[in-house]
Amino acid sequence: MTLLKVKDVTRRFGGLVAVDSVSFEVHEGTIKALIGPNGAGKSTLFNTLTGFDRPDLGSVTFDGTELIGRAPRAVVRAGVARTFQNTQLFNQMTAVENVMVGAQAHQGRGFSAAALRLPRAMAEDAESGREAARLLRLIGIDEWSGTLGGDLPAGIRRLVEIARALATSPRLLLLDEPAAGLNATETAELISTLFRVRDSGITVLVVEHDMGLVMEVSDEIVVLDRGAKIAEGPPRIIQKDPAVIAAYLGEEEPDDE
Amino acid sequence: MSSRRARAIVIVISTLTIALLPLVVQDRFLLKIFTFVGLNALVVVGISLLFGYAGQVSLGHAGFVGLGAYTAAFLVARLDLPWLLAMVAAGLVTALGGMVLAVPSLRLKGHYLAMATLGFGELMTLGFKEADFVTGGVNGFSGVPFPSVGALVLDTPQQLYWLVWSVVGVALLLAGNIVASRPGRAMRALHGSELGAQASGVDVVGVKVRAFVLSATFAGLSGALYASIVGFISPSLFTTAASVTFLAMAVIGGSNSLAGPLLSVVLLTLLEYLDALVPGISRTTAEVIQAYQADIYGLAIIAVILFAPSGLAGMWRRTRSTV
Repeated sequence: MTLLKVKDVTRRFGGLVAVDSVSFEVHEGTIKALIGPNGAGKSTLFNTLTGFDRPDLGSVTFDGTELIGRAPRAVVRAGVARTFQNTQLFNQMTAVENVMVGAQAHQGRGFSAAALRLPRAMAEDAESGREAARLLRLIGIDEWSGTLGGDLPAGIRRLVEIARALATSPRLLLLDEPAAGLNATETAELISTLFRVRDSGITVLVVEHDMGLVMEVSDEIVVLDRGAKIAEGPPRIIQKDPAVIAAYLGEEEPDDE
Repeated sequence: MSSRRARAIVIVISTLTIALLPLVVQDRFLLKIFTFVGLNALVVVGISLLFGYAGQVSLGHAGFVGLGAYTAAFLVARLDLPWLLAMVAAGLVTALGGMVLAVPSLRLKGHYLAMATLGFGELMTLGFKEADFVTGGVNGFSGVPFPSVGALVLDTPQQLYWLVWSVVGVALLLAGNIVASRPGRAMRALHGSELGAQASGVDVVGVKVRAFVLSATFAGLSGALYASIVGFISPSLFTTAASVTFLAMAVIGGSNSLAGPLLSVVLLTLLEYLDALVPGISRTTAEVIQAYQADIYGLAIIAVILFAPSGLAGMWRRTRSTV
């Protein structure tokens, strides 16, 4: 079943076409990778899918509902969570508190209930705490739960951000370069985490430069170059695609970054 | 947990000290000073929520203090409304003002938000001066009656002290509950990374608006209490300089804390009245301190930013973690 349908999405910045009429689908229960050289428009596309940016043209439907025009919070509540290329952790909050913020995505703001310590608010808080602890265990980083976000090593920061995104109970998880800055051991752990996430029924769309990881985890790959889709298919086919090889190895043209 | 226990002990001791102070201190002037500490504390608790937790800067909060003060003064002295009703009205009017000031915060950050709120404060001061048919203009507004509920009039320094600190106590309790749970985490998330907060489903707009409304209401109530305790208000009380002082108190107290800013309010407010508090102090020393008060605040802020970026609260947290 198609969970996410991206159709003719175009985003221009002045004269630059950052995303050029890109279309693809993500099927439920799969891991799809979005790859391409630097400046190919991957992060811009991610922003248009998650309410952080609005495309000039095109539509993005998630399980039948249009996502374009929705604020990031509404996208999260619809069931699409994301991480960032530059991790956006809350540095003055502990790892478990970071994840708790994600866990409260479907709750109200709760100012009055919290001010008066209403039992319902207290119960929801306890539930968020349990859910955050469970996710840190699932990802295998519960030993860091009491450490402030700002004191975490780069690899753990990425994993905490993934845990925080998972805490919003998404059906689709968008990861923007999750392996950047990770060493080999951490990357191996990330790969097993991605499989565990997929096996728990969450669909994954991942932007990544680490080709080893991409080839190992993805069911399908979409390749972008200079804003346009140049190839789509399973890893084995993509590896041999002449257009993809040309885009990566470069032609006699200046870098578009 | 021992740190929780230490916290509880500190809270109980400071509550008792504050509550029982008027039984020990009989001097009218001293009690008045401690009452002013409470009035400043009320404003700074609000600013700590707004700035220390939610990370939204305001250089215009004296405008809310003034708005609350004039609203209460006008309703009680000119329209003869009951004092309690005037208090509620002052709270509501300033809450509405907070909602208005929240609008620029939805688009502006950092220095730009500071400028916008500064402009708001200046506009309010101008309004207090110009709307003289309501405010009495630059000559001020006098003859505000003491707080009263029915036949009970609170007019002794002790009663007024207890009134103010009861309000501070309630405000601290509400604020403490808020920061300890879901909305507190949402505010700190917003402070840490607005992008991260949005991606985690935080209602950024709703949280900002509520932080502004709460802090404006606390400031407005402080102003309303001031008007009925002192009986006289004028625009010179509610200037940008006062806004800067409030913000300075919150910054020196430290972010993500209520206790730090509370301590900082007590210390910095008392500094102003050093000659009355320390019997042996020479007149010149006291005069020098008072003359350079703004400079002392400025230096204290620079020192905090350079050496202890998370303020008094951060210094406390660090000593505890190294022990």
